[in-house]
Amino acid sequence: MSDALQFLISGLVVGSIYGLIGVGFTCIYNVTGIVNFAQGDFAMVGAMSAIAIQAAGAPLWLAILLAIVITCAVALLIERSAIRPVRGDVMRGIIVTIGVGVVLQGLAAIVWGTDAQPMPAFSGEQLIHVFGATVMPQSLWVLGTAIVAMVALDLLFRRTYLGQMFRACAMNPFAARLVGMKVETMSLVGFVMSGALGAIAGIVVAPIALTQYDTGLQLGIKGFVACIVGGFGGPIGAAVGGLVLGVLEAFSAGYVSSGYKNAIAFALLLGFLLFRPGGLLGEYERVRG
Amino acid sequence: MMNWRIPALIVCIAACAATGNGYFVSLMVIIGLQALPAIGLALIAGYTGQISLGHAAFYGLGAYGAALIGKWLGVPAGLDIVLSAAVVAALAWAIGWLVFRLKGHYLAMATLAFGIIVQVCLVEMHGVTGGPDGLTGIAPLSLFGVPLASDFAILPVIWLVTIAAIVCAQNLVASPTGLAMRAISENEATARSVGNDVKSVKRLIMMVSGLFCALGGGLYAHYIGYLSPGPFDVGFSIKLLLMVAIGGFADVWGVLFGVIFITLIGEALKPLGAYDIVAYGALLVISVIYCPDGLLRGIASLAGRAMHTSTAERRS
Repeated sequence: MSDALQFLISGLVVGSIYGLIGVGFTCIYNVTGIVNFAQGDFAMVGAMSAIAIQAAGAPLWLAILLAIVITCAVALLIERSAIRPVRGDVMRGIIVTIGVGVVLQGLAAIVWGTDAQPMPAFSGEQLIHVFGATVMPQSLWVLGTAIVAMVALDLLFRRTYLGQMFRACAMNPFAARLVGMKVETMSLVGFVMSGALGAIAGIVVAPIALTQYDTGLQLGIKGFVACIVGGFGGPIGAAVGGLVLGVLEAFSAGYVSSGYKNAIAFALLLGFLLFRPGGLLGEYERVRG
Repeated sequence: MMNWRIPALIVCIAACAATGNGYFVSLMVIIGLQALPAIGLALIAGYTGQISLGHAAFYGLGAYGAALIGKWLGVPAGLDIVLSAAVVAALAWAIGWLVFRLKGHYLAMATLAFGIIVQVCLVEMHGVTGGPDGLTGIAPLSLFGVPLASDFAILPVIWLVTIAAIVCAQNLVASPTGLAMRAISENEATARSVGNDVKSVKRLIMMVSGLFCALGGGLYAHYIGYLSPGPFDVGFSIKLLLMVAIGGFADVWGVLFGVIFITLIGEALKPLGAYDIVAYGALLVISVIYCPDGLLRGIASLAGRAMHTSTAERRS
């Protein structure tokens, strides 16, 4: 029983990271129609810069803030230099974002080396015991951050003027342009937001999992799986999908084999893509070929 | 029209072999081996417009398949490549049956997932694949009982297969099926409306594509003599995509140029460590944005434009 609870908790923690990465996908996809294959690398850049800045002697809050700013700047640069020229072309968009991801990985390997790097936990290592399961304080940080970010994003998308503009650009960019919205600016905002979300996800999980120059790809794909499982579109879908994926992964790693953990995640992806492409929450017709 | 290219290619290879330089010859072998999966990917991603991020898996399955079939059935090297390629081609058809319900990003992710699942299985199935340690002791190809152990001996065999694949690919592209492929790539609904069975064409091309990859993989296994899961990861799928992008997607000879170009760049940047990854990524981005018809044509059109402006300036 306590085993199951332990798996459930670690699944929820990992799942909220997948959800945060996943919601970064939707921020970009909703506005530009491009799935950013470099999404996971935003998390890697965020975590690596936070680790580097903290190692240079800055306090934790400053390191986190600077790392988020750096990642946003990277996202902005990518949008301007690589995404804008290929807007609307799905295949070229995919290949360009893959290329961008590869460049980020290579640069990270050059700047920070290829070793996996740890980050000290935000509030100590004192384990918390709950019904026979143990929880790291950092896990609470992850869960809390994910909940706050998801609720804030959901409110942003549904309640604010900016959010309405976002959704208008997603539904019909042409009509949005006709009524005077700057779709290009919205795309820039989308990229910066997803850069910030990616950085936050990477930083809060950094004390739990080591960060390495190539951790981004796996994280990015898992985030995408979260989107597919939950239904592509909003923060709630990504959050639900992330939690489902995280818990499933934790249980399969615990009861089946940790080596096959990744294969199970991708089998889930294939299953959902093929049999329920709308995800758990949404209907999405444009998926089918 | 294209007939001079194959003799020219053969002359180039012969010239390389004639220099007696072992380094050149091993490079040519590598280029020939990678040209097979790259041309396979060009058929599906370039001509038919269906992106795949899992082609390294077909290459890997072809390699492991050849090694394992050779080990289990005791068939001579060469026959096991053919058997393994047949199995992988059937698998590619089946994968096509599954994934071509999807398009765009979803297709890309599904093929990526397939590639990662195969990679995980290669690492985890210790009893069959040897896990991360890999398979050793794969016999080299042999001809009439003489093992082709050296690079010089294997070079003509590999390029014979590669040139055969190039000819097949060209014939396929020039055939009515080739027209259907390009129609699908341009506009699927239109292609279907004039009576093309879109899904079966896609599956067929996926099968041919998988076959090319598996042939390359099988030859690779017997050439290198040792297999580990590392070379067949997502990175190799992306590298194949880069070769196809450099070559201009729907262009068999362009893709061959892409393979040569990327192999040489990789060799040149090897001493610099991680810089080669940055170069690959940057090349991928630049070639897709600025040279959608391939690096060669992109540079040619840039040069043409520059000459045009300079002559125009002179006239005015």
